Order: sequence, then C-alpha cells, then structure tokens
Amino acid sequence: MTAPRRDQLAGKALLVLFMVLTLIPFATLLSTALQPAGSIPTGFSWPSDPQWGNFAEAWRIAHLAPLIKSSLLIAVGVVPASLVLATLAGYGLATLKIPFSNLIFVVFLLGLTIPFESLITPLYYQMDSLGLLNTRWALVLPLIALYMPFGVFWMRAHFLTVPAELSEAAFIDGAGTWRTFRHIHLPLALPALSSLAILLFLWTWNQFVLAIVMVDDPLKRTMAGALGAFQGQYGTDIVLLSAGALLIMAPTIVVFVIFQRQFSRALLQGAVKG
Amino acid sequence: MITTSRPSRRFLAALAVTATVALTACSAPGADESTTSDQAAGDVSTELTDKDVTLNLYLETGFPIVEELSKEFTRQNPNITFKIRSDQFAALTENAPRVMASDDAPDLIRLPTIADSASDGLLLNLDPYYEAYGWDQFPASQLEQMRVDDEGSRGSGSLYALGVGYSVTGVYYNKEIAAEIGMDEPPTTIDELEDDMAAAKAAGEQPIMQFNDIGGAAFPFQALLNQYSDPADVSDWIFQKPGATIDTDAAVEAATHLADWADKGYFTDDVNSLDYTNMVGRFAKGEGLFMFDGDWESANLDKSMGDKVGFFLMPTEEEGGEPVAMGAPNTYVVPAKAAHPDEIAYFLNWLHTDEKARQIIVDDSGAAPGGPASLPVPEVPETSLTHQTLAAAATIGESGVLTDFVANATSGIYADGIRPELQSLLDGRISPEDAVKGIQDEYESELGS
Amino acid sequence: MTLTHQEAGRTPERPASAPRARRGRRSRRRWAHLVYVAPALLMYGFFVLKPLVTSVQYSLYDWNGIGPATWVGLDNYRRVLTDPDQLSIVGHAFELIIFFTAVPVFLGLVAAALMHGLPQGSFSTVARTVLFIPQVIPLVAAGIVWDWVYSSDGIANQLLSAVGLGGVTRPWLADFSAALPAVGLIGSWVMLGLCTLLLLTGINKIDPSLYEAARIDGANRFREFVHITLPGLRREIGVCVTVTMIAALASFDIIYISTQGGPGRSTMVPGVEIYRLAFTQREIGQASAMAVILMVLVLVTIVPIQRLTQRSDA
Repeated sequence: MTAPRRDQLAGKALLVLFMVLTLIPFATLLSTALQPAGSIPTGFSWPSDPQWGNFAEAWRIAHLAPLIKSSLLIAVGVVPASLVLATLAGYGLATLKIPFSNLIFVVFLLGLTIPFESLITPLYYQMDSLGLLNTRWALVLPLIALYMPFGVFWMRAHFLTVPAELSEAAFIDGAGTWRTFRHIHLPLALPALSSLAILLFLWTWNQFVLAIVMVDDPLKRTMAGALGAFQGQYGTDIVLLSAGALLIMAPTIVVFVIFQRQFSRALLQGAVKG
Repeated sequence: MITTSRPSRRFLAALAVTATVALTACSAPGADESTTSDQAAGDVSTELTDKDVTLNLYLETGFPIVEELSKEFTRQNPNITFKIRSDQFAALTENAPRVMASDDAPDLIRLPTIADSASDGLLLNLDPYYEAYGWDQFPASQLEQMRVDDEGSRGSGSLYALGVGYSVTGVYYNKEIAAEIGMDEPPTTIDELEDDMAAAKAAGEQPIMQFNDIGGAAFPFQALLNQYSDPADVSDWIFQKPGATIDTDAAVEAATHLADWADKGYFTDDVNSLDYTNMVGRFAKGEGLFMFDGDWESANLDKSMGDKVGFFLMPTEEEGGEPVAMGAPNTYVVPAKAAHPDEIAYFLNWLHTDEKARQIIVDDSGAAPGGPASLPVPEVPETSLTHQTLAAAATIGESGVLTDFVANATSGIYADGIRPELQSLLDGRISPEDAVKGIQDEYESELGS
Repeated sequence: MTLTHQEAGRTPERPASAPRARRGRRSRRRWAHLVYVAPALLMYGFFVLKPLVTSVQYSLYDWNGIGPATWVGLDNYRRVLTDPDQLSIVGHAFELIIFFTAVPVFLGLVAAALMHGLPQGSFSTVARTVLFIPQVIPLVAAGIVWDWVYSSDGIANQLLSAVGLGGVTRPWLADFSAALPAVGLIGSWVMLGLCTLLLLTGINKIDPSLYEAARIDGANRFREFVHITLPGLRREIGVCVTVTMIAALASFDIIYISTQGGPGRSTMVPGVEIYRLAFTQREIGQASAMAVILMVLVLVTIVPIQRLTQRSDA
C-alpha cells in the first residue's frame, strides 16, 4: 500500500470521526425528545417506547405554524430587496466608471467587520424614533442594510468575472448601460444570485440578537429569536424542550438538504470571497 | 491583489468619510425628551365605561394568574376585552422600560423593580386613584413597597404600582425525607435547620435543592441576612436610602453560613447552572429536603406532591424570635403612556375587592389577595399547602416583618452583583467578606452613575 | 474582506480602438452611473453608517436611554479599559479564538493534508452534508443542544464515565474553570465542518505536479506539507481564520443561551455585555463604549491577517 493511499484511509477515518462528533449532539437530543414527557432522562438512552407524540405537543406549545409564517414574512422582506440593491451596486462598482468607486467599495468592505451587537443600541433608538419597534420592519430594514456589504461584495466579484468584451460589444451596438445590464449581465448573474439568495435566507432565518431587541412579541420574530423565548417558557420539561428545539431547527436542515449542492457551493465560495 | 495594494490608505479614507458623517449628527441623545407623568387629580373616573375597550397587558410567562382574572372580568363586564402578550421574566424586565417608553405602551405591565422607571417618568402616578377608590382602607404596609418619593427612593411617596397577590417566602420541605431523618416538625431555629441539613446529608439525601444559574442563592442568603441583621437596615438598602450598605457583619455572617453549606455539599453540584424550573421539577420528584422559595409555587406543588410537602417560615436565630420573611407584592404598573388608565385602574381595584377575583388569586397563585383588611381571606382546604402558605403570610402580617427582595434594590444588582458574587461564593472562590463587598461595590457603582 | 483574484487578468486583449470610444462614452455618464450604487449606499448609510456614528456619539455620554444625557467625554472608555471585570470580558473573547479558530483550522488542515487528491464521490457528498449541518442551524439551537450535552445527566458526562473517566465528570457549564472552554468547544463544533471543507476544496486545487516534483526530490511528507500544502492553502487558511475570528470576537447567541455569561463572570463576552449594559442596566454610554471597542478590536485583528494571507498570493 502506498503512503498516499494509507493517508487517504486515515483521512477518511478522521472525517468519519468528525461526522460522528457532529451528529452526537443531535442524536442525544432526539433520544431525549422521544422519552415520556415529564420524565428526567439521561444523556443518551433509546426509549423502549418512543413517544413520537411529543413532537405534536411541542408543535402546539411552540406555536410553530405562526412562527414559520413570521420568519417567512421577514425573509420575503429581506431577501428580494437585498438582491436587487446588491446586484445594482455590484454591477455599478464592477463594470461602470463611477466617481470614488474604490472609496465606496472600501466603505462597504468595512461593514463586513462590524459585529451586529455594536450597532443594536443605536439601531434600537433609531427604530423607536421611526415608530417601527415591535414590527417586522424593525428587523427587515436593518437586515437589508447589514447584509449589504456582503451582497455588494459578492455581486461585484461576480460581475468582475464577466468578460469585458460582452459589454463592449453591446455598447458598440448602441445599447445603454441599463440595457446592457438587463439583457447581457443579469441572465449571466443568475447562479451567483441564487447562491446569494440562499445565504441571505439562511442568515435571516437564524438571526437572533436583532430579533430579541427589536421585537417583543416572540410570534413576530424570526425562528431563532423565538427559540430563546421557548427555552425560558418550557425549561421545566427537558423532553418537550428537546422536541421543540428539533422542530425549530428542522426547517433549516430540510432546506439545506434540498439545496445541498447550491448551499455548500455558496458557503464555500462565499467564505472564500467573504 | 489589485484592490488590496494599499489597504491602509483606503481604510483611512473610509474612516474620514465616516467622520464627516459624524459631524453632521451631533446633538446630545435624549435631550428633547420631557417627562410625561403629570396627572391632573381631577381627571380620573371610577365609573367603568360602557364603550367597547380592549386593554393591552404585558405579562410574565408561567404565571397565568392575570390572564385568568381578565377572563373573569370580561365575563362580568363583556364590553372590556383583553389583549395579552407574555415574555419570560428576564426578557420582560429587560424589555419593560423600552416597551413603556414606546408609543404603543400597554395598559398594564408586570414589573418587579419600579424605582428607576418611576423616577424616569415612565409610570403613571396612582395617587388620584388611591384617593378616588379609597385604597387607604388597604393595610399601609401592603402598599409601602410600591411607593416612590421624589428622590427616587422606595418606601414612601406616591403610589406607582399595585400587587396581584402579595407573596411571602419561606422554606418548602419534603415530608418523606423529613420522616426518614427523624425531623418530626419544622425547625424553629437556624441551628435546628442546619442540624436537619446535616442529618439529610448523612442519610445520603440532598439537603437543599436551590437554583443559582441566575442567582437564586439570594433566597437563602437573604433569609439568613434577615435574621442576623435589623430588617429595617435591609429595607433601607433595598429602598436606596442614603448611606445604606450591605457590607455589614450581619451580611458576612449570612454569607459565611451559605459558604459553609456549599462546602459541606448541601447544594447540588450543578447549583450554579441549575435553573428555576428544573429546581422545582426535581424537588417535586422527591430530590432535596429543603427548597427556599415563595408561596407562588404552593398551588403547583400541591398538585404535584400532595401531602408529601410542607412549608415553614425561615426560622429565627433564637427560639421564639420575631419572624421575618421577604415577600413582595407581584407588582403591576400602569405606564404613563397607557391608553386606558381609568379602565385598568378599575380592573386593579376590582381584583382586590371582588370575591371571585380574590378566590382566583388564592387558588391559582397561593398568594394572599391583599385589599382592604376588612374583607375575608378566601377559603382553601385545610390540608392543602396553600393553607400553610396563607397561614404563614398571616403570621407575618400579624406579628412579623416583611422585607422586599434584595434583588429588587436596583435594576442591575441581581444580574451584575448578587449573581456573580454568590456563584463565586458557592464555588469557594471568594470569601464571604469579598462577596458582600462585591455586591455593595456594584450597588454603589450603579447608584453613582 | 478577502478579495478575489479574477480581476487581475481581466483587461488584456482588447481592440486598440475600443477603450478610447468607451472612455468617452463613460466619462460623459459617470456621475449618472451613481444611480446604480445609490440605493444600496443610502440603505447602508442610513442603517449601518448612521448607527455606527451614533454609537460613537452615545459612547461620550452618560445616558439611561430615556432621560436627558450628560456629556462625560472619554469616561466610559476609561471605565472599560481600567475595570478588571470589563477587561476580563475582552480577554474571554480572545480566549474563544483558540476554540473558534485554532482548533478547527488545525484539525481541518490535518484532514486536508491526509486527503489531498481524494476523488469526488458519494463519500465526500455525505461528508459535506453532515459537516455543514452545524453551520445551517441557528446558533441559538446549537446553544440549546449543547446545554443539554453538558448538563450533569448529559452525554458528555455519560461518555466520560463509560471510558473510565468518571472522575472528571461535572456539570460543565456550572464550573468556573471549565465553562469558558466548554462554550468554546461549541464554537469548534460549529466551525469544524466549514474549515475542513474549505481546506479540502483548496487542497484539491493545488497543482499535483508540485507534489510529484517534491517526491522526486526526496522530500518527506512533513516537508511536503510545509513547503507545498501550507503555502498553497494560504488563501483558504486566511479565510478560515478571518471568518472564525470575527465569530469568536463577536460571539453572542451561544453564550446568551447556554450560560448568560456565568458562572460568576467567567464566560461573559463583549457582545453579551453590550446587550446587558444597554438593555438591562440601561447604561447606553458604557454599552456604546464597549461596542466601539469591540469594532476596533475586530478591525485591528483582521486587517493584519488579511494583509498577511493576501499579499504575495497570485
């Protein structure tokens, strides 16, 4: 057996170990969720009589149906608007000559390093003076802006890969920048746009700190924001809490498995770019 | 590589842009706010409107008592309906000031610490309603904790809140474990209490079930402090009287006992991550001889433990001493910006005086309903735990002293003083002297700023 | 932050006449082109730059969020930078870097080094799916899951007992010295998959002929790793380090859910402290000073890493 082959086996074994470590916490959560409600289970023990009904009970007390609706409403507010703004700006910065474009770009880049927590206090008072507190707008508007640095960065990087000859050909044909953008660049940008859409959706769905500050009513928050309230409310019963936690994270996992390829490509590219 | 060639210059330029924006936006924050708590005394009405009104309530999750009361109220007055939203305690106390300051302030909020909000002008002054409804018929001590004076100290001044149930705290005990260790009746001195703990430990039982993930060791700590010091001093500290301190010999003694209990393994080993609901859950399942808690759990424990559980007031240092308990009204306030102050005041008066409402409070929360001293206390079965807690409340009312919770002294004292200091104390990391000094330091830094 | 390389080779073979024509057209329109950027810039300016400036402004006042504010100059900063409690909070954030950054990058490198050249197949698809799950669930959920893993009756203690280490079992999040590393390991768990996959993707892009040449020269596996793999992965390592460090310094969700900063103050981090100062204690000035310090910390940590990992690459 050659050295690389042995290494690859060892590498595979290591990856399997990583996978097991990744899955153990979920396994223990699942085994706990299936114990009789109200019991005090220990770490991992498969129940002799799995109580699948716990999930129905948790679905009811966690108000999952309205929560999913609320999270979707917020995502619908954030994702399309972010895509439009980021695409226009990314196109402008990448292919058009704009005064101070480098400066503008770096100002956007600075935004990538700003922790959300550093902005929540002023954002809170800003939303208050706009009269938007406790509405989903108080999440949607700041999130669009907070995701803008990444969105602009991402779309600009995409438009830079488009060969300049394409726009030039169009220019020579007399097309304006808007028509060039609309008919040549936009269709080519669809893969980059869909990856960005997936990432933005995920980040919105999982947004926590903004949700707990801006919106008092858990049912108007994002899924993640509601999960914190759920923990406080049903901390008594570790079994139902586990079932509820699984249900609340299930949508992200389902979406992820469906879009698995796009997801990991987006995350990997996104990380390299962002 | 093209774009990163001179990052430092770019960053400087970007920062300069930011700074330029800064110059355009400089006025002191909040300077234009004015207090809105002025209330003309003549404006209030004690007649309930006959229009349709929806009252907005912001309540604490897990204590559905006000919701129950609101249902009964609507049954009696169908034109008044309620819109209720609830949050867990921590989120509620964090959100409350912001919610009250906002334009869609609710009509009633559960608010444990009222002094800061009252001096910030967020709360409606209830004095006009006090006059109009004749709340001077309530025992004065019942309302004392909910008064705030012009300097922002509690204990005297105008009325800013009312209670829904008036709680008292003490010690729950597991009667089965008590029988096992030969504890025939509740201890009457602190020494006896500690002997019982030692006996439980020796018998392999858990002596104390107490949560301390967010500082629940404050219950036994203050229970001890109340006995070792003059309760009036404790109250002065809580009410932020000038010069009050908790850095006293009595507090050090209380902390020493607590540290000693921890050292002997009387607390569970996960005491510092045990949360309240798990504490109650484990105690109800038979783990732990004692649990320091309030009468609000009596109805619950009655259901889950039946005749296996008892309740006693914290024993005194010497046999036959004057009993002291901390207790507090479960305070509810009306925001200054509330849309329906007359209606909510009517509701508050109703729940103190209506026979059915008082019965609901006792049955659902186990706490005394308060109200005029002349009204009878609703009846509960004599064998029930609630009967014991009501009797304890009566004992305190007749011949004892009631103090507020030390955790209510300032808005940050619990999270930033009591919790970290008592967690460190139970872990044996700091001395009792350092623990009380740390709490006092936090108290002063908050009042100072 | 990391910038792509595509633009470097973008402009060469153009017909000689085209640029001039284009420049003319564009220079006439350049101010009008701002229309493309303006909406994004306005949104960003109003909800990011403006609060950023407000944050700096708040940090110079003593304000409870409701009443009038008092100018205190740099007092709030002095307070954060001289109070040992506040300083230890900043220290915790840097300690978390060990777990959020060092552990996953190191383990990811080991896996990548062992596996370079592994063909794409169903195994790698499964691995990718599984390892990404912690990245897609809300961090809040990760906090709840691990809260349970670490509890007295949790699986961490169960496993330790099973392998004969019953002596070290404890309620991990209640233990003053164990809580911060325990919380940090949650971060390792979340970041491990991302780093591993990123590095695996990167290593497969390294030219195999480099390894062949090294082997012909008689280089051993370790030298190969140091001289070929590490330099080849410079960009990916830079990305891993940048992303995970920001996550460590700005951590909030996991700690807010699992320990709220306790026991004592042993797991308090800047993000949670800002939230607590602003919304529990209503010390808006101090919260904002901490917020500004956190932003500066992230910047001064990230910029050198970017320069280091980006410069000589191409």
